[in-house]
Amino acid sequence: MKSTTVIGVLIGAILLASAMFIAGRASAPGEHITNDVTKVADASDVIDESLMMALAQAKNFHRKAKVYMSDGKLDEAAAAVRQILSLAFPKGAPEADDVRLDARALLAKLLVLQGKLDEAMRTVDEGLASSQRESFFTANLYTVRGEIQEARAANYDAEGEPSKGLAAASRRSAIESYDKSIQINEKLQKQLMENR
Amino acid sequence: MTTNDDSQNELHPNAPVPEPLDEASPSERARAKAFADIVDKAITGRAPAVMSADDRALLEVATVIRAANGQAELSATAQRSIVEDALRQAIGDSIANTSGQLGVIPIGSARKKWVPWALTGASTAIAAAAMLVLWLRAPETRVVHETTAQTPTSWTSRPADPLIGPIARENAGDASARIDYLFADRLEGYRDRRLSGRSGGKKR
Repeated sequence: MKSTTVIGVLIGAILLASAMFIAGRASAPGEHITNDVTKVADASDVIDESLMMALAQAKNFHRKAKVYMSDGKLDEAAAAVRQILSLAFPKGAPEADDVRLDARALLAKLLVLQGKLDEAMRTVDEGLASSQRESFFTANLYTVRGEIQEARAANYDAEGEPSKGLAAASRRSAIESYDKSIQINEKLQKQLMENR
Repeated sequence: MTTNDDSQNELHPNAPVPEPLDEASPSERARAKAFADIVDKAITGRAPAVMSADDRALLEVATVIRAANGQAELSATAQRSIVEDALRQAIGDSIANTSGQLGVIPIGSARKKWVPWALTGASTAIAAAAMLVLWLRAPETRVVHETTAQTPTSWTSRPADPLIGPIARENAGDASARIDYLFADRLEGYRDRRLSGRSGGKKR
């Protein structure tokens, strides 16, 4: 076969292949053709085993602390509540923040009962600082903070005239904490009403 | 004397066949000599253009007999023409009316140079038509019905605020009761999701 014939056949084959390639691309799925689909919402926050496990553990530690409290063993009760703070919750689970803030509120009250006001205040402030969002549990923690300030004011009152100024300052702080708690509660209640 | 009538009578199909050993008549001799001249001229390529049908038939027979004896040779022109015909047949060309021609047709000029270009042109035309059709064709329209099944709220991990609500000051330390309530609520959603047979989202 002569070279011109070979070249001609090759050119024709290339052109035909190109046309077939373009035809294949044009009818490829994804360009014009779409399928009917039923999607499941991409909820990355479903309740899973790890969340339930953490909640169950928190529940048990609270039960244990309650038994110690009923027995007057406040140190053991506080220790049980501290265990809740170190529980491993699923990353990003909102329940984790709520459960830990609630545990801090209980722990702070136990410390107040033991007269450990500074430690109680530290427990509350750490909780407020680590809080990811405003919630009823945050508001409750501000309430406990106000109670701690009230307890401080009472202690300053007991110290006599020299500490009257500190007592007044503590009371003002307590009022501020209660106001903050009320503000958060009102805001959240309003949001809940709007979402219903 | 032999006359034309005699010769006609001798050539007539119904005329009596002479005996083999009979001596040839003068008319036969004259006719034999005339035919011999025709054969000689035909061998040298100078065959008369006009001759009687009987002479033509006899001349063909004589030519066949001479060729059968190996005394006939084709002229160089005729040989080249036959070779050309064979070669043309080998490349798929027609051999009609070439062997009889004296002129030699060169093989190079006999080949069809337009064949590859015809193939290329046809392929190009087909490809262009396909591209044009694809370009002009309206895209297929299909209505998409996309149904999104929302994951039930009770299946999801979420803030406990709607469940617990505002916490009264006298209940500030009642975390045990709240965790019981929260655990029971989440356990219900977890069981619902697991027993429904639907995954509903992805696990963390």
